[in-house]
Amino acid sequence: MKATKFVPYSEVSFATIPGPATRFFRKFFLWQVWRFFRLNWKMMRIVVGGHS
Amino acid sequence: MSTVVVLGAGVSGHTAALTLRRKLGKQHKVVVVSPNSKYQWIPSNIWVGIGRMESKQVTFELAPVYKKIDVDFHQAKATALHPEGSADHEKPFVSVTYTGKEKQGEEAQIEYDFLVNATGPKLKFEATEGLDPSEGNCNSVCTFGHAEHSWKNLQDVFAKMEKGEKQTIVIGTGHSLATCQGAAFEYVLNIAFEVKNRGLEDQADLVWLTNEYEVGDFGMGGAYVKRNGYITSTTVFTESILAEYGIRWIKRAGVQKVEKNVIHYETLDGEYLTQEYDFTMLIPSFSGVGLNSYNKAGEDITSTIFASNGFMKVDADYTPRPYEEWTADDWPSEYQNPTYNNMYAAGIAFAPPHAISKPMKSKNGNVISPTPPRTGMPSGVIGKVVALNISDRVKANSETNNHKASMAKMGAGCVVSAGYGMTKGMAATMTVFPIVQDWKKYPRWGRDLSYTVGEAGLAGHWIKLLLHYLFLYKAKAKPFWWLIPE
Repeated sequence: MKATKFVPYSEVSFATIPGPATRFFRKFFLWQVWRFFRLNWKMMRIVVGGHS
Repeated sequence: MSTVVVLGAGVSGHTAALTLRRKLGKQHKVVVVSPNSKYQWIPSNIWVGIGRMESKQVTFELAPVYKKIDVDFHQAKATALHPEGSADHEKPFVSVTYTGKEKQGEEAQIEYDFLVNATGPKLKFEATEGLDPSEGNCNSVCTFGHAEHSWKNLQDVFAKMEKGEKQTIVIGTGHSLATCQGAAFEYVLNIAFEVKNRGLEDQADLVWLTNEYEVGDFGMGGAYVKRNGYITSTTVFTESILAEYGIRWIKRAGVQKVEKNVIHYETLDGEYLTQEYDFTMLIPSFSGVGLNSYNKAGEDITSTIFASNGFMKVDADYTPRPYEEWTADDWPSEYQNPTYNNMYAAGIAFAPPHAISKPMKSKNGNVISPTPPRTGMPSGVIGKVVALNISDRVKANSETNNHKASMAKMGAGCVVSAGYGMTKGMAATMTVFPIVQDWKKYPRWGRDLSYTVGEAGLAGHWIKLLLHYLFLYKAKAKPFWWLIPE
């Protein structure tokens, strides 16, 4: 979204905003493939460990 | 031979029915009663609501699936429980009214040995004046039909913006006690994504309107995540995403009335304010579906079986206590009704002992805070555990529940879609363990931070898409469906 949306001292203006590197890695294929498997693994551990 | 009746064919009820059928031998009968002919994968309704999927992609007919696996399916609405039977019935039974075309309006009694109440919630639109989508003011994505209708209306809004008309889009919660913030949050992010794709940012004023004390509470008191070397709250995480997507937010707001183009809400400060809109989607409050119960003599025992909100009482500690005295042990782990041990409640149908978020009262004395979420992963896990306990009891002819799944010992993964596309899509993946904070076990953060994640990226979209296809495969009881976890 465009920077004109930000108004000084509004709540939105105090929020953290991702920089270029973070935005790049969010779409960088190889990194995201790794995150895909890593996050799935974390979720699987949670599901399996959540009931007996 | 035992008969197990499952009321409801949503995530929890359907999981319970499939598990029961797999675990119980053919000499036992599994019966499903659901007023709907179709199963719907509710998490993907968001994509129907923004035109990225059609409703046929998130639904399928239940009858052929149940026929394939030998489950008796009654397309009917349960109207009353008779856990002691009646003068005419030795065994307990449930009264139903058929809703399918063939038997529309016919009534019947279905006897059971075990009952799973997985009716899900009643969407209580009537609790907020003007909220019902049929009145034409507000939209909904709670069902695939609602989502289809929302997409139709949203296209009109996009068309106006393309002509240069500025439009205000308000998404959030439509009642001071509403839950399921996650679904509404997904919807506002997906709308923002589509607005950006169309280059309409200058024409759109996007607003997140919520009953949360802080954004990122999500009805579970928020969470803490490890992120870039810091331990940070989901409030920071959520505010960051909202700000990045150009969405302003109004928090601590209890919506009281929706009129044409104006939403009336009360804040925790006690102010009565309004927000104008051109398009709005607000989640209603939930209640139980309104089942009545009667004993053998025909006396009304509804208040014995159900809590005042209409959800079924289970093995939770319902003693009223202040927030500071709530503990993880208050939460149920077996989901068995304390009065009738052959009745269980799974998914949204069980009555939680209390909220997870701290209840907040406005200066006018009205509670404005989310009720606890019980959707998705926990619903599926609870449905499975209830089915395993019943099948063990049937096979061993015992009274013991061998399987447990407390929301205070169970984690949850929530994948919040924030844009559709295999290369440009995005989702925020959030995991927490446990869902209900256990301050005794985790005194600092309430949860185990090694399991708690908050991360945005393309991988999240792939996960959400994978879950869509995996869970529909599983729900259709295709080969080896049972290998797919809840």
